[in-house]
Amino acid sequence: MKIAILSGKGGTGKTTLSVNLFSSLNKVTLIDADVEEPNSHLFLKGNTYHEEDINKQYPVVDHDLCTLCGKCGEFCNFNAIIPAKKKVLVFDDLCHDCGGCKLVCPTNAISYTDKAIGKIFYQSVGDNKQFLYGRLTVGEVSGVRIIEYLKNVTKKEEVLLIDSPPGTSCSTVAAIEGSDYCIIAAEPTPFGLSDMRMVVELLREQKLDFGVVVNKSNLGNDDIYKYLEEEGIELLENIDFREEFAKIIARGELLVDHSEYVRNIMNSIIKKVLGETYA
Amino acid sequence: MKIGICASDHTPESLVANRFARAPYFAVYNSETLDFAFFNNTAKDEGSGAGGKAVKVLGDLKVDIVLVPELGPKAIDALNAFEIKSYQYKQGKTVREALYEYFEKKLPEMLDASVKGKH
Ligand code: SF4
Ligand code: SF4
Repeated sequence: MKIAILSGKGGTGKTTLSVNLFSSLNKVTLIDADVEEPNSHLFLKGNTYHEEDINKQYPVVDHDLCTLCGKCGEFCNFNAIIPAKKKVLVFDDLCHDCGGCKLVCPTNAISYTDKAIGKIFYQSVGDNKQFLYGRLTVGEVSGVRIIEYLKNVTKKEEVLLIDSPPGTSCSTVAAIEGSDYCIIAAEPTPFGLSDMRMVVELLREQKLDFGVVVNKSNLGNDDIYKYLEEEGIELLENIDFREEFAKIIARGELLVDHSEYVRNIMNSIIKKVLGETYA
Repeated sequence: MKIGICASDHTPESLVANRFARAPYFAVYNSETLDFAFFNNTAKDEGSGAGGKAVKVLGDLKVDIVLVPELGPKAIDALNAFEIKSYQYKQGKTVREALYEYFEKKLPEMLDASVKGKH
């Protein structure tokens, strides 16, 4: 089972939900696919046993061989390689690594070189739990490759939780793709609702099953519940806001280690999503 | 010498465009023949890298100088590689007026990107 946890925007308790669900399960792997701002590791304090660089390739032109014929530029759909007056320009951040320009170059002037765009970290948490997270190098535009890598190395896991990037970007799509179920972390505020709607649309487009966990359910108004009912969306659980929760989170600790109330909620979500055997 | 101008339509009396890579047309003024010619900006609908592509369009038109509203970092790099100089006009002028201002040396040369790249 692959379960993605996502949200319309940051700060709706998506990471809190992910790490507390993770801690409530016995055998599970979590990936933090929010590679631009990973923060699950701050709560899990696992033991890093392996790190890996994630590279992308981009073309380099040997100007002694290049005749400025222009073929590479005509081929590239992304305008990442542009033959100019005396040299060929390469915009490596636009390059999608398709290999086409090298194929069409008549003089073999193009070769590819690697560039590190980020890292992934493997951690063990307790005896039989794994946690992986990625980090995109500052200045790189797309974390999709790192997310795909994270998902590829965990594709055989029995229970996989995916803390997905907020919003509806390409990175979000890459993170949720192929999930058996998605959990939206939402807040009962007007802004929270409009951001959540976009996520709902995305999940429907992708034909994925999903349900909603409402955080801070004792604050805000009823609009979100009306919306869920009108749309026939499953409300998995409510989590009330409590002063002490904010403090626990600020200390980088897990709610389930401190609160019976949250433990019960996590178990209820697990039962609904994964079934009795996992709770 | 050929001077390119980002234009919102295809006459010398059209307003200058308010964006570079997404300008609808490029006007090209030939200072030897004193003629204007207008070209569709085929880069304007590109999903990715429109700035570099727009410069390529101008390079293929053999433009030496281009008058622009703004430029991103990629467009600056590409203009350098095509050895095209760029000068910045102010909004609200016509293509012809922008050109006069260039000849009167009223337009500042652009050496750095004025806008950040978008992805
Ligand atoms: S590898 Fe593909 S995307 Fe990259 S520059 Fe070459 S043709 Fe363009
Ligand atoms: S296809 Fe090869 S020879 Fe032609 S411009 Fe590109 S790099 Fe140069």
